[in-house]
Amino acid sequence: MKLFGLAASLAVMASMAQAEETLALYNWGDYINPDILTKFTEETGIKVTLDTYSSNEEMLAKIQAGATGYDIVFPSVHMNDIMLKLGLLEKTDINLSPDFKNIDPANLRSKEDPTSSYCLPYAWGTVGVFYNEKVTGPISSWADFFAVPEKTGGKITLLDDMREVLAIGLMTNGKSVNSTDPADVQLATDYILAHKASVSAFTYDSMAMLASGDIAAAHFFVGGNVFFVDMPDIKYMIPSEGATMYQENICVLASAPDKENAKKFMEFYLRPEIAAMNVAQQYNGTANVPARDLIPEAIKNNPNITVSADTIARLHIFEDIGAALKLYDRAWNTIRTAQ
Amino acid sequence: MAMRRQTAVLTALLSPVTLFLGVFFLLPLLIIAVFSFLTPGLYGGVEWAFYPWNYGRIFGWADGIMEIYEPIYLQIMARSLGFAAMTVVLCLLLCYPVAFWVSRLPARWRLLFLFLITLPFFSSLIVRLYAWLLILKPSGLLNTVLLGIGVISEPLEILYTPAAVVLGMVYVMVPFMFLPLFSSIDNLDRALVEASMDLGATRFQTFIKVILPQTLPGILGGAVIVFIPSVGNFIVPDVLGGAKGLMIGNLVEQQFLSARNWPFGSALSMIVMAVVLTVLLTSITFAKRKGGQNA
Repeated sequence: MKLFGLAASLAVMASMAQAEETLALYNWGDYINPDILTKFTEETGIKVTLDTYSSNEEMLAKIQAGATGYDIVFPSVHMNDIMLKLGLLEKTDINLSPDFKNIDPANLRSKEDPTSSYCLPYAWGTVGVFYNEKVTGPISSWADFFAVPEKTGGKITLLDDMREVLAIGLMTNGKSVNSTDPADVQLATDYILAHKASVSAFTYDSMAMLASGDIAAAHFFVGGNVFFVDMPDIKYMIPSEGATMYQENICVLASAPDKENAKKFMEFYLRPEIAAMNVAQQYNGTANVPARDLIPEAIKNNPNITVSADTIARLHIFEDIGAALKLYDRAWNTIRTAQ
Repeated sequence: MAMRRQTAVLTALLSPVTLFLGVFFLLPLLIIAVFSFLTPGLYGGVEWAFYPWNYGRIFGWADGIMEIYEPIYLQIMARSLGFAAMTVVLCLLLCYPVAFWVSRLPARWRLLFLFLITLPFFSSLIVRLYAWLLILKPSGLLNTVLLGIGVISEPLEILYTPAAVVLGMVYVMVPFMFLPLFSSIDNLDRALVEASMDLGATRFQTFIKVILPQTLPGILGGAVIVFIPSVGNFIVPDVLGGAKGLMIGNLVEQQFLSARNWPFGSALSMIVMAVVLTVLLTSITFAKRKGGQNA
């Protein structure tokens, strides 16, 4: 009898566990407003778990190696294309949802999925230069940036990212950031090598160092603005020679255990007030047109975050360059080995 | 009968270990070895076709079209070996006298000291390295203190230099050097040391002829345990070196991630393993020969 009771209670527990709906997100670190997840759980009862990665490649390698249990990933556009080619993503028909009309067509950037029947534009932003104006004075170009150490004694850092760093060399030479021409990549390598001695480090840890005054300028994502709300001397600029931009999309994995919940989350994120909540905490751009009116004034009126059309014209986005990646890898090894 | 039972017991005892090593060590090693001869997949992974140029890129038989031979891979390897060797030497110089001092302490203090040595393992390596970043940066603790007491007038530029990398590596590796050293120094036969001094040997002679040979197993053990992870370390050069000097560990990591070239990463890993194995075998042979002399 006792045994029967135990079995019964186990059965009840099992059905409760089944009833508990879940959604597993796999996102970049610090790349979603946690309040959004709380609100989603409050409204739907779906429990959300969040794991993080620090690069597209890390995420891809993990999914390719057979990691399962994740429902939603947030790849950059070029990685979205790669994952589609590899058959790792699930068709969601999110473009048929009524709220999809909120999405700016300019943000449908995937080459493999131009109508967004798989993934939903999540957020976009620029990669520019943060600088401490008290030390560097006004600067507006990559040439100004690399001249900071010699002119002022202040230190500068670049991102520890192969394509971002080489993109600087390509843009300053007037070449495409997606060039597959060895001569272009060589020009870019030469440009970076010529300035390597002025660069203190290739790092993502630059924002705290900039705030403490240990460095004077840093190559970083627009989201870094969140650290300097109360520090008016720290400014952000999009260099005149050009800068890169990024956009991540919300994609459902083909291996997702809870595809329906994943679709619910995408639809939830189509709502303007939810997209605006993310901007308010992340300081980046949204593809949701009505949401752009709902974001805090300070962000809306900051010309560096809410960039003008002629600034947007200077921005370049990374595309999948296939086998030409080897050129960049060799260039990056050379740059990082040179003394 | 007894023999057969012994065999059965031995089999039962050893099979879990064998299985564990087989599944978690030999099998991955085999996969890496096989991958190092395969064609890289466009988006990571491998294509199952033989490809001789993963090694060719490193040693000089690349075809010049698909793959280009560049000497920088061997340079990076050499630099990593140099840093690892420096780490071993500095750890040894730091730990040897301290191990002597600790071995003379009363038992209670000794235990406390050994506990303190292992204490850093209780927190994550990344967190500890970021703590070093805060200590070493121009406005950090070290410079604040040194400027405050007037030892220096300008902040020291340590962060993002090779010196910071060596310092970080030594910091991470010190416990691995200390523990084997301590155990061999603690077991030192003090009667032999006294006898040597009584028979008129100088302190230096006693050290070279009596103490050093007896503690050699500890020195070699510590050196090997420090050397192996130092060769492949990529976190310290990234965080404290500002990712400016590429190490072999960084190169391997990069091949599996941003370069999406698993076979080349595998080939580099095989070379690291070959180097480490050579060092290991040489030191074992050396220790055996020395041991033979003593006996």
